[in-house]
Amino acid sequence: MTLQAKVIIIVFLLFVLAVIVNMIRQRRLELKYVLLWMGCDIALIILTCFPDLMNVLARILGIQSPMNMIFFLGFLFSLIIIFSLTVTISHFTAMVRKMAQEIALLSDELKEKTKKEE
Amino acid sequence: MDNTGKRKKLVIIPAFNEAESIVETVRDIRENAPDFDFVVINDCSKDRTLEVCKKEDIKVLNLPINLGIGGAVQTGYVYAFHQGYDIVVQFDGDGQHDARYLEVMADSLVKEQADMVIGSRFIEKQGFQSSGVRRIGIRIFSFLSQALFGVRITDATSGMRMCNRRVMELFIRDYPRDYPEPETVCRLLRKKYKVIEVPVEMKERLAGVSSISFNRSVYYMIKVTLAILIERLR
Repeated sequence: MTLQAKVIIIVFLLFVLAVIVNMIRQRRLELKYVLLWMGCDIALIILTCFPDLMNVLARILGIQSPMNMIFFLGFLFSLIIIFSLTVTISHFTAMVRKMAQEIALLSDELKEKTKKEE
Repeated sequence: MDNTGKRKKLVIIPAFNEAESIVETVRDIRENAPDFDFVVINDCSKDRTLEVCKKEDIKVLNLPINLGIGGAVQTGYVYAFHQGYDIVVQFDGDGQHDARYLEVMADSLVKEQADMVIGSRFIEKQGFQSSGVRRIGIRIFSFLSQALFGVRITDATSGMRMCNRRVMELFIRDYPRDYPEPETVCRLLRKKYKVIEVPVEMKERLAGVSSISFNRSVYYMIKVTLAILIERLR
């Protein structure tokens, strides 16, 4: 990897990290859901700083260029994050449904009660 | 001694699967802290917590979906604030906490004009002292509170915390979902609220499992440490 590529990638990753931290600070992001983003970002920074690590990994996985390795990893991390989002959405769907049902039961209960009082 | 008499005081008991210990907890409060009202927040327990509470005529707020410990406790703060309570205290439903200390804590809160009183296991180092790994975590938080906010909190993870309306207002606005204790203490310290600790003894839980299992402690430490650091940046 050329020095130029290295610097650009690291600056970009640090910028992303700063944006994330700032958004948590302003409470626009929930720390729980961005931990994965921060983890991936930091992992990529480490790998970019120490390309030897990537060489080793690339050799193990049979990938010829470390540069390809970093793209592959970035892609892999993206997939992991997207999948975790799908899991979270499924969880929320179940929660919203339960909440709607609970509200339906409550409003019915309230209606019956006011009817009786009349 | 009792100069807190006129104030309305409420105990919030967050409960997730505490059917076996909740009755004992409430009996302890009725007996040893009779000035306090109490409310159980049932956070979608999968066991018979709700049924047990109804049978024993214990006041209970039933959450239709699981909000996590933070969401459950926050529900209690919202309730306390709207019902006009002056002092509110968190109290675990698993039998770890001892209601005898509630009056002492309320007295300290009023006398020292503190915003929050934490029941700390590590001032007199008596009673159940938590497991080794967890103690290391607690010590790290203690160090962080000292280094970042200038106040040493010996037991930032303590779930036995009492506060006034000023803090209630803050907690209603924003309260973390998971592992809320250390982060919220640091928030109060950042805002220069007065946080004090009084020594309490805790027991080993009667029933149930900790909300923090062993293999989750690493995640816990990273998340809470990060949250505290970000709190410093706010």
